Amino acid sequence: MGVTIRYDPQSGVPAIRQITDNLRILLVEERLKAGAQLPSMRRLAMELGVHFGTVAEAYRELAAEGWLDLQHGRGATVLARSTPSIRRKAWLDEFRDRLRGLIAQTRADGAPGDEVAEELVTAAKEITR
Amino acid sequence: MIRFIQSFMCLFLGALFYLIPNMTRRGILFTVNVPPDFRESPEGRQSVSSFRKLVGSVVLIDLLAIAFSPMDAMAPVMLIGPLLIVGTAAWGFVWQRRKIEPFAVARTVWRVRQAELSGEPDRIPWFAWVGTIPFAFLAAAAAFLYASWDRIPAEFPVHWGANGQPNRWQSRSVHGVYGPLFFAAELCLFFVALALAGWYGARRSYMRRVILGTMVAVECMLGLLFAGIAINPVARFPIWVIILVPLAAMLIIVIVAVNRIQETDEAAEPTPEEFWHAQLFYYNPGDPALLVEKRTGTGYTLNFGNVWSWMLMAALVAIIGTVPILL
Repeated sequence: MGVTIRYDPQSGVPAIRQITDNLRILLVEERLKAGAQLPSMRRLAMELGVHFGTVAEAYRELAAEGWLDLQHGRGATVLARSTPSIRRKAWLDEFRDRLRGLIAQTRADGAPGDEVAEELVTAAKEITR
Repeated sequence: MIRFIQSFMCLFLGALFYLIPNMTRRGILFTVNVPPDFRESPEGRQSVSSFRKLVGSVVLIDLLAIAFSPMDAMAPVMLIGPLLIVGTAAWGFVWQRRKIEPFAVARTVWRVRQAELSGEPDRIPWFAWVGTIPFAFLAAAAAFLYASWDRIPAEFPVHWGANGQPNRWQSRSVHGVYGPLFFAAELCLFFVALALAGWYGARRSYMRRVILGTMVAVECMLGLLFAGIAINPVARFPIWVIILVPLAAMLIIVIVAVNRIQETDEAAEPTPEEFWHAQLFYYNPGDPALLVEKRTGTGYTLNFGNVWSWMLMAALVAIIGTVPILL
């Protein structure tokens, strides 16, 4: 089996967020490489058991970020995306806030702190690898 | 001849019931979710064997009744025999279901759905094109009838009872001669629509391919059967050909499909529990699939939350509605 995407309808996270975020992870980690053809919106919606519009919206969001090229009748193609320039202070503050929010939410849901920390270390290692 | 036809029909029915335990994925036996290797365990083998012995016994009894009953007692034998086989098989099924329930495993809970991010087009298998052949049969039959119009009798049989005797006739008219062909074309179109719906309206799986092949095979059988019935007033086939050949073809289709189903260990398609009603009807407007795999039986069922399922049902009702007009 090639690259796969997962959708958990019981996670509480809206389908559109899960699909967009999961696709973005695969794009950032280059598991979906430039030139790769994604399934048609209809087919992906069918496989995941979600509304067609949900996948369409996810594809449009990623296309707006410059990750995908959407051509009518040809599905979605992964683009070679250049990293945009970003102001250091702005992204770091936003990233820190979002990360803290996520950690707090996860711990509030009952996740043990040491396991969350371990997961963060693993993620950090993957980024710097 | 009547004993021969009845014996064949009895064997056909028996063979269908004999195959029933293999008509589901390896993880389902007598509608109970079991481990895929349960069928090879002593309990699994014994359960299937007991069911088959029961079916075999009642078929043997019916065959003996057909062979040795006096001709004037054949009418009740023809009625009671099939009922006895169906009733006994149904009882045996429930009996075996109860016996293997202690070995049941929990059904896959729909938690996470996974999809491959492949841009490969969802190409329909080559054998789907075989579904166009029945239309060629029907067109050829229509051309043959047109060319042989003068040889068609003023009245001819179009329907035969289980005893092999004709019980409905038609007159030589456009409606009478070509009606069965129009009806067959409707049926074949419906099967083509169902086959395409099963391919493009269901999630990717091994079973989708098996069901497509089965639909195409049944459509071919129907096309050939109706083409044969339509040209029968001129061609004059022996009655056993018209009754037995389609049954034999049907049996071959079932055997091939059953073998294909047993070849896979692929897990059954998980669908959310809350959208199943009485374990039979799936209604999930949020699921774009038109067809989903049945929970405990064979093949697929419609997602009644998809508007196209109602279109298919309406088409079927419309086709049934044309029976008194075309046949």
